[in-house]
Amino acid sequence: MQTRQTIAIIGATGNMGSAISKSLAKGNYRLLLFGKDESKLKKLELTILRLHPDADVAPITCSYTASWEADIIISAIPYPAEKEVADRIKEVANQKIVISIANPLNDTFDGLVTPPGSSAAEELQKLLPHSKVIKAFNTIFAADFPKTVPAATHTGSFIAGNDPEALEIVSELVNTAGFYPIIAGDLSASRILENMQLIKILQLNK
Amino acid sequence: MYELFFRKFNEKVPLTHEEEEMIKTYLTPKKLRRKQYLLQEGDVCKSIAFVEKGALREYSIAENGNEQIIQFAIEGWTISDLYSFLTGEPATYNIDAVEDSELVLLSKSAHEELLRKLPKYETYLRLQVTGAYLALQKRLTSVNTLSPEERYANFTQLYPELVQRFPQHMIASHMGLTPETLSRARRKIKSK
Ligand SMILES: NC(=O)c1ccc[n+]([C@@H]2O[C@H](COP(=O)([O-])OP(=O)(O)OC[C@H]3O[C@@H](n4cnc5c(N)ncnc54)[C@H](OP(=O)(O)O)[C@@H]3O)[C@@H](O)[C@H]2O)c1
Repeated sequence: MQTRQTIAIIGATGNMGSAISKSLAKGNYRLLLFGKDESKLKKLELTILRLHPDADVAPITCSYTASWEADIIISAIPYPAEKEVADRIKEVANQKIVISIANPLNDTFDGLVTPPGSSAAEELQKLLPHSKVIKAFNTIFAADFPKTVPAATHTGSFIAGNDPEALEIVSELVNTAGFYPIIAGDLSASRILENMQLIKILQLNK
Repeated sequence: MYELFFRKFNEKVPLTHEEEEMIKTYLTPKKLRRKQYLLQEGDVCKSIAFVEKGALREYSIAENGNEQIIQFAIEGWTISDLYSFLTGEPATYNIDAVEDSELVLLSKSAHEELLRKLPKYETYLRLQVTGAYLALQKRLTSVNTLSPEERYANFTQLYPELVQRFPQHMIASHMGLTPETLSRARRKIKSK
């Protein structure tokens, strides 16, 4: 695509938010970095510009405006915070792609808090009924984002969602971030993807 | 956010509250900053944009690098590369914001679903397209039959607000005149 797409990263200064932002900065995207801490945002902006001097990035301290300007919204915040943010941006996220990266872990990191037969992505879809929620990046650890670009080997990254066009756009985005996109299925496949990551975390904590 | 959109819609086809709420679920609100593109030549035009606030232009770039503006849009107007939107072929036009803008986008899939679900949307669209066709025909006639002065006089009479909102060189490009010819035409009109 020639036309530059605007991506709002909600929670840009977090581990995942900053890893995703850095990895997308080389693409044909305008990145709106949303976070509450202005000095952290400024630092992230400078880091990105050092890595990619041509990057089109701007810090922003209003999630509503960021989402209004955006074509794609990435929710890079903890699962319990998603309701509050979804309520705030719902109106301006209408019909837009919203990427769910959350793993809804419990406090002891040995189980998921989502109701049986659902997933963080599906819960987010319920909160944003007219947005196109796509699961992506939840099976990748923040530390595993490629440090150098372009990545020589592509690690697979699963995505799931219901809207074919949105899946295609997110595949391209995942690819830009340095991963090989694998479509796992419709949004309900997020249950498997979130459980997959739980197993990985359980292994790590053994 | 959709105030003007529904005001204009209701002027053409009156809607019930329920119908408005239903249409709202299909709309994409989008803020565009000055100089940002809504569409670049070569991409498929994926949506029709209604302007709630701001100003945009649609243009092609000739081989010599000159921009040829085919359409302006301000509050209450719609803008798209309709040919690309309807056929799915790559756009031959660029659309960018001349002022910070607030748009209401209707994507192709939203458009198709509304056509299926709501006959009033079809009526609204027919009136829109008819209006656009008439404007296009008027423009072609004026290009073919009027002198530069007459064309400029015609344009300022029809669209006084556009003359205020867009820089002279863009107006000239839209009328197929060089900026020099345009200012000569303006002087002649003034001295009359
Ligand atoms: N870490 C990983 O390797 C990994 C891998 C896959 C998926 N994930 C998922 O990614 C998400 C983020 O994880 P993380 O490790 O990056 O966490 P993190 O480093 O703690 O970052 C969370 C970010 O969310 C922001 N935030 C928290 N509550 C918020 C609210 N109510 N409104 C707006 N912003 C809020 C925080 O901002 P403040 O600092 O200003 O509070 C912070 O920037 C989680 O859903 C997690 O399950 C993480």
